[in-house]
Amino acid sequence: MRDLFGCGRAMLMATAAVFATACGGGGGEAGGGMEQEAAGEEMASPVDMATAGGIHAMVMFEGMAPEMDAIDMASEPNCAARYTDTPMAEEVVVGGGGGLANVFVYVREGLDAGMSFPTPGGAVVMDQVGCRYVPRVVGVQAGQDLTFRNSDGLPHNINASPSENRGFNISQPVNMDTNRNFPLAEVMVPVRCDVHGWMSAYVGVLDHPFHGVTDMEGGADLGMLPPGDYVVEAWHERYGTQTASVTVTTGETAMVSFSFSEAMAANAVVPMGEPIDPHGPGAHTLAPEAH
Amino acid sequence: MRARAMVPGFVVAAAVTCAVSAPLAAQEENALGREVYDRWCASCHGYEGLGDGYAATWMLPRPRDFTQALYQIRTTPSGQLPTDDDIMRVINEGMPGTTMPGWEEELSLEERLALVDYLKSFSRFFAAGEAPEPMTFSSPTRATEEALAEGREVYELIECNRCHGADGRGDGTSSPTLVDDTGMPIYSVDLTENWYFNGGGTVEDIYQRLRTGLDGTPMPSFTDLIDAGVITDEQLWNLSHYVRSLAPEDPPGITEVIRAGLVEDAPLPEGVDDPLWESAEAFYIPMGGQIIESPRWFVPQVAGLWVRALHDGGELAVHVSWSDHSESPDSAWAGFQAQVLSAVGPEEGDMEPGPRPDGLYLQFPMEIPEGMDKPYFLMGDPLEPVYLWHWESTAGAAQEADARGLGTMAPQGDAGQSLASEAAFSAGRWAVMFRRALETGDPGDLQFRVGEPVPVGFAAWDGDNGESGSRGSISSWHYIFLQEPTPATVVVAPLIATLLTAGLGVLVVARAQRREREGAEGPDEGDA
Amino acid sequence: MNTKPWKHPLGQAAIVVVLAYLLFEWGIWLLPPLFGVASAPVPATVVLQYMGTVVVGVLIWVSDSEERWKQFKAPIHRVMVDPRQKVLRTALMVTIPLLVAFMTFDRVRPTVSAPAALRSVHPAPPGQIDFRGETMVLNGLENPLRHEGDLEAHYEEGKRIYVQNCMPCHGDALDGQGHFASAFNPAPLSFQDPGTIVQLTESFVFWRIAKGGPGLPREATPWDSAMPAWEDLLTAEEIWQVTIYLYEQTGWEPRTWEEEGAEGEEH
Repeated sequence: MRDLFGCGRAMLMATAAVFATACGGGGGEAGGGMEQEAAGEEMASPVDMATAGGIHAMVMFEGMAPEMDAIDMASEPNCAARYTDTPMAEEVVVGGGGGLANVFVYVREGLDAGMSFPTPGGAVVMDQVGCRYVPRVVGVQAGQDLTFRNSDGLPHNINASPSENRGFNISQPVNMDTNRNFPLAEVMVPVRCDVHGWMSAYVGVLDHPFHGVTDMEGGADLGMLPPGDYVVEAWHERYGTQTASVTVTTGETAMVSFSFSEAMAANAVVPMGEPIDPHGPGAHTLAPEAH
Repeated sequence: MRARAMVPGFVVAAAVTCAVSAPLAAQEENALGREVYDRWCASCHGYEGLGDGYAATWMLPRPRDFTQALYQIRTTPSGQLPTDDDIMRVINEGMPGTTMPGWEEELSLEERLALVDYLKSFSRFFAAGEAPEPMTFSSPTRATEEALAEGREVYELIECNRCHGADGRGDGTSSPTLVDDTGMPIYSVDLTENWYFNGGGTVEDIYQRLRTGLDGTPMPSFTDLIDAGVITDEQLWNLSHYVRSLAPEDPPGITEVIRAGLVEDAPLPEGVDDPLWESAEAFYIPMGGQIIESPRWFVPQVAGLWVRALHDGGELAVHVSWSDHSESPDSAWAGFQAQVLSAVGPEEGDMEPGPRPDGLYLQFPMEIPEGMDKPYFLMGDPLEPVYLWHWESTAGAAQEADARGLGTMAPQGDAGQSLASEAAFSAGRWAVMFRRALETGDPGDLQFRVGEPVPVGFAAWDGDNGESGSRGSISSWHYIFLQEPTPATVVVAPLIATLLTAGLGVLVVARAQRREREGAEGPDEGDA
Repeated sequence: MNTKPWKHPLGQAAIVVVLAYLLFEWGIWLLPPLFGVASAPVPATVVLQYMGTVVVGVLIWVSDSEERWKQFKAPIHRVMVDPRQKVLRTALMVTIPLLVAFMTFDRVRPTVSAPAALRSVHPAPPGQIDFRGETMVLNGLENPLRHEGDLEAHYEEGKRIYVQNCMPCHGDALDGQGHFASAFNPAPLSFQDPGTIVQLTESFVFWRIAKGGPGLPREATPWDSAMPAWEDLLTAEEIWQVTIYLYEQTGWEPRTWEEEGAEGEEH
C-alpha cells in the first residue's frame, strides 16, 4: 500500500499547489523560492524574532504508570555491573510530577509554505551508556548531523531503519563517535542495537526546528515561531499520537497540553516513518488569502 | 513441441488508481520485465513486489520486499541502494541458505536485464537520484598463518562472537534476540558452512559483506571502523581470511555410502571427544524439511549432518555432529521459538511454543535386505517396520526403538536395550556417539555384517526452532558399509600379474634375439 | 630409414588408436552439445569394448598386405633385438609389468558402492485408482479443468499450490533444484527435462501426484521416493490445477490419449 499512500500524498500536494495558484498566491510561491535561493550561501532563520512567539508543550500521564519489565543484562555483565538497582525498560518514563518523558512534540502543520530553515551546524548526540540510549528519543532537523556515541567501550551496532530516508547499520565495537544524517523529514526513525536486543531509540526528523522531547516534568519547548495557527503533534512510542491546535501570538509563549494514559496502549497506532510536510494543507498563509 | 506459454493477465490494482506514480509508469514501459517477474518471481515476492507472495509465510527468512529497496548483497555502503550489477548478481546466483535460487541458467540475459529494471521500479528510491556508486575495495592480503592469527584477534576485538559464537557456529549470546527489519526472527549465520552464505563464500565475498553490511539484517558495516582508525583495512582482510578458514576448503559432496573404517590396532572410541574420531573419514548428509506428511515443517534448522563410523569387527561406533544455535531447550531461546512458530505456516499440528529438546535418530531396516527392497524411508510402514537409534537432548542415553510409520516410534523394552551412547554440546555443535555390538542376538535388532552395505537414514530436530514430532529434518536412505580386512588378493594378484608379464616379455625378447642371431648366421629355412 | 611417422604403418596404427580413444572418451560426450544436441559421457566398459574393436580392425588392416605387415613389425622387432635399443628395451620391460600390476591392483582392491538399484522411472500406470474413496479410471482420462472454468484462474491457483507445496524440492524454476532437493535420493524430477512430463498424459501426472512415492509399483522402489501422496493434502481439483501449472509454466504440451494410442499400435 506504500505506493498508494505516496501517490495520495503527491495528489494532496498537487491540489494544494493548484489551490495556491488559483487563489492568486503565485507571488508568494515565487517569493518563497527566491528566499530559498538567497539563503543558499548562508541561510539565516526566516523567523522574524521581533514578531515571533513560543510554544511550550506539557505532556502529562494520567493514572498509575505501568510497571516496566526489568532488563535482563545477563548477557552483558559489564553493563549490568553499572547498575545498583535492576535496570528497567524505558518504554514509559513518568516523572515524580506526573509528566510523561520521551514524548516527541513537533509542529506538524501550519508553517508558511515558502519557509525553509537553515540546517543547524551543531550535531545532536545520541549516546550509548550502560547499554541504553541516552537520550532515548531525539529530534533532528533534516540534514543535521546526528552523532552516535559509544561511551560503553563494548560492542554496539546502530541499526536505523527509516522509511523515507535510507537506513544504515554500523558497528561501534569500542568507544567512538559516528556521524550520520537523514536528509528527509519523517516521524519517527526507529534505531536499535542488535547486540543488545533491549536497546531501542527513536529519531524524529523534520525540515524545521520547531520540535522538542519532553523531560521528566513532561515539558518541551518548541522554539520561536512566526505568529499564526499551528497543529502540534505529540508522539509516544507506546501510546501513539495526539494532536492539538495552537495559536502563536507575538511575544507570548502559547501553552499546549496533552495527556496520555495506559488505556491508550491497547488501540494505539504508533506511526513510524511517516513523511511530514508542515507546509501542507492548512498552511496558515493560505487561509487569509482565501478570505 | 514447446507451446507458447500463457501469460496470466494480472492487473496491478494500484496502476488503475494511481497511473501518475513514477515507479508504476516505469513498470508500464517494461513489458518484458513485468512478464518475467509475474511468471517466475511473483509467486514468492508478490505481484506488487511486497514480498507477500503465495509462499511467503512458509518461508523464513521471508522473500524480499522490493518496495523498501533494502538489499543485503551490495557493493555500496550501508544503507545505500545496490548497483544494477549487485541486483543482477543475486538474480544470477540466488541467495544460498535461503529459498531464493539462481536464475542465470533459466532466464536469458535480456530477460534478466529487464528484470533488474522491473525490480527497481517497485521502489521510489530508485526513481530519484543518481545511480549508486560501488565502493572501491582493496586487494586481498595473503592468507598466511600470521594473517589468520590476526584475523582471529580482530574477530575477538570487534566481538563477532556476540552473534556468531566463539567458533563461528551462530550461537552467540545475542543470537536469540536477533530480528530483521521486518521484525522476523533471524538466525546469525553459521560461519562453518560458507556454502550457505547469502552473498557467497569466498574471501572476497566475506570482505565485501564486512565492508557493506547486510542491509535489513542485524549484520552491520565495519567500514566506519577503518575510517575511525579502530582497525585497518588489512586487518579486515585478515578477519575475512579467518572467517573463510572456519569452513572447509570445498563444500562437502554428497556420498551415498558411509564407510565405517576397520580399527585393528586400537580400541574403538569410548566417547565423542576420542582423538580417533579426528582421523576417521567424515561424510556429509544433507537434510531437508519433513514436508511429506502433515504436520509438515518448511523451515528446518539442521541442514546437514557430519557422520563418522568405525568398527573393530565386534562393535560399531557412529559419531554424528552438526551445528546448532543452542542446547535445547534453552530458556534464552524461548522467545525466538515463539516468534518462529507464529511466523511460519502452514498451521499444521501443535504450534504452541514450549520447551522442546534437540533430537537425532539413525534408522535401519530390521535386517539387511536380501534384494533391493527396503522399508519406506520415512520411518517405515505397518508392513515393513524400521529399527532406530534415537537420542534426545533431555532423555539421557540413546535408545533402540522401532517404528511402523511417521509418529509411531516406540522404544524397545529395557531388556532389549543394547546401545551405548554419549552426547556433548560445545560452542554451537552437537556431537552424539552411538556404539553397539554388530551382533546382539536380539531378534528385534538389526544384525550388522562386515562387508555388506546396510541402509541407514537420518532425522534431526532443533527444539528451540520449534521442531518436534514430525516437524524436523530428514534424509532419504544412505548406506553404511563396514570395511572388511584387506584381503590377501590385493597384494598377491598384482604380484602374480607382474611376474607373468615380465616373464612373458623376457621370453619373447629372448626368442626374438635368438632368431636374429640364427638369421645372421645363415638363411633361415623353415622356422618352427 | 627415416620415414615420417604418419607414413609408417605402425605410426598410422598408433594415430588411429589414439584418435579413436579421444573420440570415445571425450568426443561423443562433448561434441554434440556444441551443436545443441544433448549427450553424456560413454561408460568406461563401453569405451573398452569400442577400443577392442578398433584394435582388431587396425590389426586386420596392417596384416592385410605382406609388405605392410613387415613394415609394421620392423620397428617392434628392432627394439627387441637391436643392441643400440637396449635402454628403451629395458625400460619397456620394467614399465609394462608395473603398469599391469597397477591395473590389477585397481581391479582387485576393495571398493565400496551402494548396491545397484534398478529403478523404473516411468512405471506403467494402473488402469484405475481409488482417490479419496472414489474410483477414478485413468485410461483415456483428460484434465477436466481444460474445458471447465477459467484456464488462467486454474493456472494461478496451480501456481499457488506449486510454490507452497512442491517448490522446496522441485524448485522455483521447476528444474528439480529446490532447496531440499539434495536431501533426497532419487532426486526430485525436473519438469523442464524433456524426459519427464512431456512424455506423459495428464492422467499419469495426476496419478503420480495423488499417490506419490508410497503408491509406486515395486519396480520403481516406492520405499526410496520422497514424493508425498498428495491425496492426503490436496483435492482432485487442486491436483488438476497444479498439473495445468506444470505444463503451462514449462511450455510443454501433455501427451494426449490419441498419441498414446497411436504409439501403442506401432508396437
